[in-house]
Amino acid sequence: MLFNTSEFFVFLAIVLAVFYASPKALRRVILLVASYVFYLSWNYKFVILLLGLTVVDYGAAIAIERASAARKKPFLLISLAANLGMLGFFKYYNFFADNLAQLLRFPPHSWTFSIILPLGISFHTFQSISYVVDVYRGEQKAIRNPIDYALFISFFPQLVAGPIVRAEEFFADLFSWKHPSQEEVLRGVLLVTLGLTKKIVFADQFAQISDSYFQHLADHPGGFAAWSGVLSFAMQIFFDFSGYTDMAIGMALLLGFHFPVNFRRPYLAFSITDFWHRWHISLSRWLRDYLYIPLGGNRHGRWMTYRNLMLTMLLGGLWHGASWNFVIWGGYHGGLLSIERIMGRREFEKKPPLWLYPLRALITFGLVCIGWVFFRAATFADSRYVITQLFHGGKQFQALLPRWMVYMTGVSLLIAIIEEKFEWTERLSRGSAWAYAAFMILLLLTIELIGVTEKALPFVYFQF
Amino acid sequence: MRALFTLILTVSGFWAVEFAIFHTGAYSLILRHDSSTGSVETYVRNELKRNRGTARQVLTIGDSRTGFLPRYANDLQTGYQFASIALGGSTPRDWYYMLRGVDPKADRYSAIVIAMNDFEDSEILEDYSVRATDLYYVIGRLKYSDIPYFAKSYQHDPKLEWAAARGIVLKGLIYKRDFQDFLLHPADRIAMAQLARKDSYLWYYNYVGTNSSMEGVEVDWPNRTVTVPVGFTQAQKTAYEYQFLAPRLEYTGVRTAYLHQWLGKIYEHYRVSKTRLIFLHLPRGPFVRPDQPAFNPHSSIRELAHQPGVILLPERLFESIEQPSLFVDQMHMNGPGSAQFSRTLAKEVSHRLDAL
Repeated sequence: MLFNTSEFFVFLAIVLAVFYASPKALRRVILLVASYVFYLSWNYKFVILLLGLTVVDYGAAIAIERASAARKKPFLLISLAANLGMLGFFKYYNFFADNLAQLLRFPPHSWTFSIILPLGISFHTFQSISYVVDVYRGEQKAIRNPIDYALFISFFPQLVAGPIVRAEEFFADLFSWKHPSQEEVLRGVLLVTLGLTKKIVFADQFAQISDSYFQHLADHPGGFAAWSGVLSFAMQIFFDFSGYTDMAIGMALLLGFHFPVNFRRPYLAFSITDFWHRWHISLSRWLRDYLYIPLGGNRHGRWMTYRNLMLTMLLGGLWHGASWNFVIWGGYHGGLLSIERIMGRREFEKKPPLWLYPLRALITFGLVCIGWVFFRAATFADSRYVITQLFHGGKQFQALLPRWMVYMTGVSLLIAIIEEKFEWTERLSRGSAWAYAAFMILLLLTIELIGVTEKALPFVYFQF
Repeated sequence: MRALFTLILTVSGFWAVEFAIFHTGAYSLILRHDSSTGSVETYVRNELKRNRGTARQVLTIGDSRTGFLPRYANDLQTGYQFASIALGGSTPRDWYYMLRGVDPKADRYSAIVIAMNDFEDSEILEDYSVRATDLYYVIGRLKYSDIPYFAKSYQHDPKLEWAAARGIVLKGLIYKRDFQDFLLHPADRIAMAQLARKDSYLWYYNYVGTNSSMEGVEVDWPNRTVTVPVGFTQAQKTAYEYQFLAPRLEYTGVRTAYLHQWLGKIYEHYRVSKTRLIFLHLPRGPFVRPDQPAFNPHSSIRELAHQPGVILLPERLFESIEQPSLFVDQMHMNGPGSAQFSRTLAKEVSHRLDAL
């Protein structure tokens, strides 16, 4: 059940209706049942996995809290082993088995299995790990009510692709649940609509161009085609993922939960450091708190900082998918972050003067786009080919982007700049009803007329 | 309450804008005139705008095989003025909504001539009851009140049934391909749409068809082979082989049920009017297959023929046209074929109507 289908909206309407019509005591159960129904609609077999990990982590956290300081660690290790073991097996087993086979000169696929990746495993395992580690660190109390904990792991708006919510944020909302305010209701509806617009109007339209380019590279020689394809993918992935996130945040808001912001106009970043403060913020935050800082962060000198940055980004890349291309993508960003550190951290965290901002943003965007090539291309050879085309593709003019999509890009850039300056979508739900309605009507008409509605295309991050 | 008010305002505002653009005909100002929706709208609009004079009116409807060119019919000065809204790719379901569009009160025509491939309800490969493109053809003609009947007509495919209902409510979903095409070259489109509104009636009225023919093509029925002269492509030969040699589909009644529904709907529209419904059997093709469909006394058309005001023209009226020199391909008449067909039809229809 994809967020961009009518079935999902029927499901959401039923959940909202039943949730608010029920007594407060039953609401958590209703949300839990709804979340499992949502997960069941994808693949009923993996519910057992989700349930199993929930039981292990629920038990491990209580055991950690009860145990003396010296005896906490084994429970933490059990939880980590369960989560990383499952993630490792389902997501990375074939990758490592294949590489090992190649290394030992065995025929390819000698030791691989046909493994289906359970939906959302990368997200819910990270969320579980953060919870258990927080309990281990004494920063979070172990949750006693299994329904509460199960809901934290399976809450349907963010189950399959985040944002990765920290336990303290989720349980603060759950334990002192308040009916969403009028403003929150409006903001929730706006975010769901905006997210849907981003997905089916922008992401899915750009996907047609980027898919056509990356799936048939030989048919589209030349630099113009390469830039069209890469720019389209840059647009697709941003609108796809931030659209999903907006919908998730909006739905959570309608149910009285407050999710953290996951994107803050990342293509307006003036450095790669700034980019990672704006892109998939909940993952960056997770990697920082549960990987980079435990590795030592920047506490042990420059070289260790660079090493930690590289390791964090390499693993962050690998988290996205079991392929060397993702590792390269992570390493590329780790390298750029390290270079920025070498050149002076403050310089890349401080907003540049207005006259320099556009140039810095353009350079950053260009660097990010080059990174996307590794993210999107099917193989390393394809990535290398596209990079070569970007810079040495000759002057063959084959621009794949139709003019109206270039305008769409321009309009979205303009909206992003205005949003950066005035945060007007934030204000919209507080301001005049007429302005809100006018904007919503515009979104709905755009969905109706430009949205790809013939076929519901899955969200890119669902595969992770 | 503020949230409720704002959301009601949003929904009603969206409905109002959607209605204003797509349910009032405003969008047709930029609609591509030769798209499926655009063709229906152009034909209907031209027919509504047509200068009628005092002569009694006869309107022909059918699909691309119809080949009726009204100018040849009108040149005969039969006392009737002929017009046509026959449209390639249209189906009896579309014909009903097109006829309702040009003749909402069922009082404008002396006769409606409906061109049929045969009177036996022979099965065809495609099941027209679930033809998705019909929604695109007639979306401009559909109203909210059509939702139950039109959507229900897709009952064999629940997805299409839902798409039809949703499409009538949110017409923009159906117009979106056209709109996205408009975005590619908006200025050119507006200019073309304006030109089509002004002149397209004459484009169609003055069309005389092509002189190309199938002369030289031969079908050897005993040996089941088709021979084409130099200049014909393999694709053409394959198409001929399929049309003339492929086994006929077994009669299942699917086509009868479909035609019964939609020809019946057209009949209902004219049932209490003075307009006659005249069914004609189109020329069978440049070659007449020896395995003609068996006589079906219970076909939809023969059953309709028992109703008052319904006339069946002789099935072999156009037999003389069934020759390669008068066809451009395996199904369609060429210019001379269409001219002969139009004159023959005009004479026969006027005789029939005069005799009443």
